[in-house]
Amino acid sequence: MNVQEYILSGIIESCVLGVASPEDRAEFEQMCAAHSEVRSSRHAFEIQLEEKLLQQKLDPPRELKSRIFSKIGMEKEQDTRRIPLKKPTLVPRAGFAKYVAAASLILLAGSVLLNLYLLNQYKKTIAQNKDLIASQNQVAGANQALQTKMDKYENDLSLMKNPMMAIVKLPAMPGSPAPSSMATVYWNTESKDVYLLINLLPKPIADKQYQLWAIVDGKPVDAGIFDLVDGISFFKLKTIPKAEAFAITLEKRGGSDTPTMEAMYVMGKVTG
Amino acid sequence: MGLTETYSEQELVSALKAKDDQAFSYLYDHYSGSLYSIILQIVKIPEVADDVLQEVFINVWRKMDTYDHMKGRLFTWMLNISRNASIDMLRSKSYQNSQKNQEITDNVYGRDQVTQTSIDSIGLTKFLGKLRPEQRVLIELAYFKGYTHDEIAEIEDIPLGTVKTRIRNALLQLREYLK
Repeated sequence: MNVQEYILSGIIESCVLGVASPEDRAEFEQMCAAHSEVRSSRHAFEIQLEEKLLQQKLDPPRELKSRIFSKIGMEKEQDTRRIPLKKPTLVPRAGFAKYVAAASLILLAGSVLLNLYLLNQYKKTIAQNKDLIASQNQVAGANQALQTKMDKYENDLSLMKNPMMAIVKLPAMPGSPAPSSMATVYWNTESKDVYLLINLLPKPIADKQYQLWAIVDGKPVDAGIFDLVDGISFFKLKTIPKAEAFAITLEKRGGSDTPTMEAMYVMGKVTG
Repeated sequence: MGLTETYSEQELVSALKAKDDQAFSYLYDHYSGSLYSIILQIVKIPEVADDVLQEVFINVWRKMDTYDHMKGRLFTWMLNISRNASIDMLRSKSYQNSQKNQEITDNVYGRDQVTQTSIDSIGLTKFLGKLRPEQRVLIELAYFKGYTHDEIAEIEDIPLGTVKTRIRNALLQLREYLK
């Protein structure tokens, strides 16, 4: 029997009305589950039946409703009373069962306490774990910073160790605004790169910048401007092919074309 | 009270599952007349039908949790509860005793007379009148008396297959009748 034949067989109607055999009913449930056509045919029949039967009422006696509702009210009360009512029935069931019940209650209470304790421990452990992760992150961060610094120092040191590097000491000149100032130029005689080591220079005010000059054939040539940055005392400036001396002056921010002589902090001659 | 007539089937079912008094009151107002009529068509005696209807609504209240809308509409479910409760009643000792008394005191209850005539003119009983006699007997036995197909085959002395076919054909006519 295909689905269409099944729908027209009368089985749906007999199942809805409850007059089908148990086998038919079992088959009907399967057909309903498998075929939406069967379901919608069932639904359509149910609606027709319902509409017809709802038109054809016989009113039951009026007092029946209140009778039913008072019964239901009693059931509801019983439902809510059911829990306290059960307790006394435990008492006469003396002997073993009583002890089993008592023991299981004690075990239950114990288990609840243990669970609370474990939950508490668990929460503590989670918090500790969080702290540990945070401090580990901190350590890792600090380590990273140290590593970067180390790398730079190593790099600086290898530059200074380079045998081609000419070292020019720039001490404070008489009349220097800061008489204890001192800097050192590392000048790679091969690549002509100029590096500056700040030994001691005062921090300038915000709108001023230091400028390194190379003295070439008696004339100052700009060799780069720089700021004093905490933790960085060795850095590369411009490439200078030829120089007799180096000097540092304090200039306006961005540097000047010619040095301000009265603001000359240090100066040193290239030897050899 | 203002909520009457505003329930959809779904809303009604979930309110009933939540044991909502107002929904149950609506359910009673809306369906008790039809169910009472079916019950009366089976048990015939109004006082008995009162008891069955009460049992039906209390059962609906208790068993609402087990109602599954996938298996059919709420009304179909209640209709089957009503029919089953009525048939159980038919088979109970107390009913069979009262039935005997009923025959004796038939004229004492004026109410029965009125109801009997109204039963015949309504719903499925009215439909029965439209069936061929050999089908009518089977629907009466199956639907209104609650006999199984095997029992009917035995009572009527006809093959089981014929019982099934006649019942199904009769119900297909019911479907047409309802349209």
